[in-house]
Amino acid sequence: MRRFLVKRLLYCIPVLFGISLLTFLLFRVVGGDPVDRLAGKYARAEQKEQLREQLGFNLPLWPRPELLLAGDLGNFADNQLFHHLFDTFTFRFGRSQQYHRRISAMILSGLVPSLSLTLPAFLLGLFLQTALALLSASRRGSRFDRLLTLACLVGMSFPFLALIIFGQSLLAGRFGWFPILGFPEKFGLGVLTHTALPVLLGLVAGLGGGVRFYRTILIEEAESDYVRTARAKGLKESRVLFGHVLKNAMIPIITRTVVVIPFLFLGSLLLERFFSIPGLGYMLVDAVNSSDWPVINALTFVGAVFYLGAVVLTDVLYALVDPRVSLK
Amino acid sequence: MKFWAAYGVVCTVLLAAYLSVPFFYDRSGPPAAGSVRRAALASKIRGLDPQDIGDTTSAAVAGQIFETLYTYSYLERPYRLIPLLAADLPEVSPDGLALTLTIRPGIFFCDDPAFPGGQGRELTATDFIYAWMRMADLNNRSTNYAGIFQGYVKGLDEFRAASAAGPADYDGEIEGLEVLGRYTMRIKLNKPYPFLVYWLAHLPTAPVAREAVEFYGPELVNHPVGTGPYRLAGDFRSNRFSLERNKNYRLETYPARGEDGDARAGLLADAGRRIPFIDRIEWSVIEEPQPRWLAFLDGQLDASGIPRDNFSEAITPGRELAGELRERDIRLLKFDDPSVFYYGFNMNDPVVGSNLPLRRAMSLAFDRETYIERFLNGRGRIPVGPIPPSFPSFRPEKENPWVRYDPEEARRLLAQAEEECGGPLPLLRVAVPGTDTTTRQGGEFFRVQMERIGLSVEMDYMTWPRFQDANRTGSHQIFALGWQADYPDAENFLFLFYGPNRSPGPNACNFSDPEFDRLYEQAVVLPLLEDRLPSYHRMEDIVIEQCPWLLLTYRVNYVLIHPWLENYKPNNFAEGTIKYQAVNDERRRAFYAEKEEGS
Repeated sequence: MRRFLVKRLLYCIPVLFGISLLTFLLFRVVGGDPVDRLAGKYARAEQKEQLREQLGFNLPLWPRPELLLAGDLGNFADNQLFHHLFDTFTFRFGRSQQYHRRISAMILSGLVPSLSLTLPAFLLGLFLQTALALLSASRRGSRFDRLLTLACLVGMSFPFLALIIFGQSLLAGRFGWFPILGFPEKFGLGVLTHTALPVLLGLVAGLGGGVRFYRTILIEEAESDYVRTARAKGLKESRVLFGHVLKNAMIPIITRTVVVIPFLFLGSLLLERFFSIPGLGYMLVDAVNSSDWPVINALTFVGAVFYLGAVVLTDVLYALVDPRVSLK
Repeated sequence: MKFWAAYGVVCTVLLAAYLSVPFFYDRSGPPAAGSVRRAALASKIRGLDPQDIGDTTSAAVAGQIFETLYTYSYLERPYRLIPLLAADLPEVSPDGLALTLTIRPGIFFCDDPAFPGGQGRELTATDFIYAWMRMADLNNRSTNYAGIFQGYVKGLDEFRAASAAGPADYDGEIEGLEVLGRYTMRIKLNKPYPFLVYWLAHLPTAPVAREAVEFYGPELVNHPVGTGPYRLAGDFRSNRFSLERNKNYRLETYPARGEDGDARAGLLADAGRRIPFIDRIEWSVIEEPQPRWLAFLDGQLDASGIPRDNFSEAITPGRELAGELRERDIRLLKFDDPSVFYYGFNMNDPVVGSNLPLRRAMSLAFDRETYIERFLNGRGRIPVGPIPPSFPSFRPEKENPWVRYDPEEARRLLAQAEEECGGPLPLLRVAVPGTDTTTRQGGEFFRVQMERIGLSVEMDYMTWPRFQDANRTGSHQIFALGWQADYPDAENFLFLFYGPNRSPGPNACNFSDPEFDRLYEQAVVLPLLEDRLPSYHRMEDIVIEQCPWLLLTYRVNYVLIHPWLENYKPNNFAEGTIKYQAVNDERRRAFYAEKEEGS
């Protein structure tokens, strides 16, 4: 297992390098020049050039091989790509060009509100989706199964944005059952109150797709020979479902759920925006729209690290739930 | 099995907790102690370092914390400059090359750990000089220097250039920034600069305490220390934060002069009373219009604009307040925005830049009335020229022959344009900043209007950075843009056509006309507006004739306010006007009680 982990983690380095290089290509080479925005609306050419110099955007984008051949290592390394890679891999993300704030502080302060929203929605969603899928799969073809399938299809067809606007206007605006928006300054019971409606809306939005997915997997497992054998041996239905069907369906369930975990940290764009929750959901979009290059880079890299971590975790969990899988 | 059981229990409890919220959620919220103003911000604050403020959201908050030498009279119109931190208006030398400025004694910074013993100290002339040097210091990356001081103050550009090499020397002397005494200073100029006094009413010129800058370092953006009526209480990076009264705030009183109708509207009832009236300002960052609107209707915000999608719910076809809102005593205020929106032609482009009939044809082909009705719910006016109403140099009687909707004449001119071009016109590309649905709908409207006269255009929707790139490199032919004035003088619009300001400067359409440039150079050194006016009018005429902009609209703002918010009058240029406003707590409580009863 240890050897496997070391090997997988070593594999992550070139992947992270590739991601970092791709981010650089997309936003520094192809994307717009942030200097025009940063210099302000009255800036003339010379002020823009001064700022470009200060930010290091006047440096060559790439290392120049002729400098290496000439043995001028100092100037060879003095280019935007090398600076970018060095800062990224040493987690020195610096400050946001737009908000002048430390990016690490921005990420940390947005993490709690984002997780307060996404984590309960994820946990509850998983619970409800698998529970309903189990019920539906165990009563396949019944009126309940047909009704649930129909409800899932309706839920999947309803746009998330419309659901948010409708839910917020009706349940918070008209009935006043929930706060319309906001997030408490201090972590406490207020978090529950302020995130209840967005969590419930997130839950409803994800229910249809999740139930359909898990139902399909569980039905496939429930029709297997070993399940028929278990039932023939007279095992209780709950034992069959939880001890056999669910356990053997774990591989696709893990694949679907663990990979989602990194995205929980990055928050929910629409819910955070509509409910005025100061999370990370909108940070990346905002950074892209304003060419806030350090923030784009930090969020992409941190997201990639989380994602690769989740992929490794998925492999480990495969081995834990399925004895046929071994980590070599 | 045990894991699933435990997981099931946790989730059931959690779900029950969320579903029980309606049973314990108190809609009226906790009772506020003291008089509280509840306001919304439509975007996040970028930072509260006054020298670097360039966005209206940050300025809305910073304006309550920081103050400038001058401000605009809260109630009087046309806008009139009045002293704020200054004792009087500046004393200008006869040649216009020196301004002597005196500040009022007895003004104190708010208490802050940056000061010895945490006690805010008295404001002096040195604090202004220090702030202006900070703006010039390249290490601070202030976006405001180019617009305010560049090229004008003796020795300041040299100080800026020297700061490129490393930390700037703030103890050194600058010829053009002279401290004459504890409360007096002089600015020496390279050339007359009548607009400087307007900039001295602009937030980036607000004084900062050197102690605070040195104490907080780069974190100063998060720790504003000003002399204004309010101070920050808590972390403004959260989506909800407060400002509280600055207990060091001096004795200031509510204005006694207003424009016609102010007394009748009750806006002079508090004349001579000590300000501020409000103890705390609670700001909420609400980026989406829908929740902002719901929060206003729920009484969580004291004032609000009207989102496009909710317009018909709030305003009747006759442009009056809808019955339900009127019954709640909500008031509607309409006022002109100091802005103009347009499609600019890149005058360097070989097709549109050299073809006047084409630009005029396109202008005549655009149905502004329908555009304003459809996209702004009627909240706009058909423009005359680049100078909007509410500016002293605006000419209501002026007629622009190219802003009427006349597709027939447009087609005739288009034929003439094709002749000039030597054949059919190629497909024209229009750069549009923004990729959202509303922007695309607006762009599609433009495209269809042009298609109706037989002109093919392609709309290129892009992010703001890409759009600015296109502007800088001049790669576009036509572009959609707007301009909002920073001070109430037409120069703040006309400089957008001044030749030397061409791309990558603010003259994005690269307009260049020798007569215009000559008039501009003559006008901007004249100290009195009356003397500048003839040149302004001629410059505007040149712009109208040459049509470098296809003018879209002047905006009209609609604001709704709850009956408990008093002394509210929109002011397009003054910063920090909440100190004049008052909240009638009794009326607000009555609203909440009624709401509670209703639910």
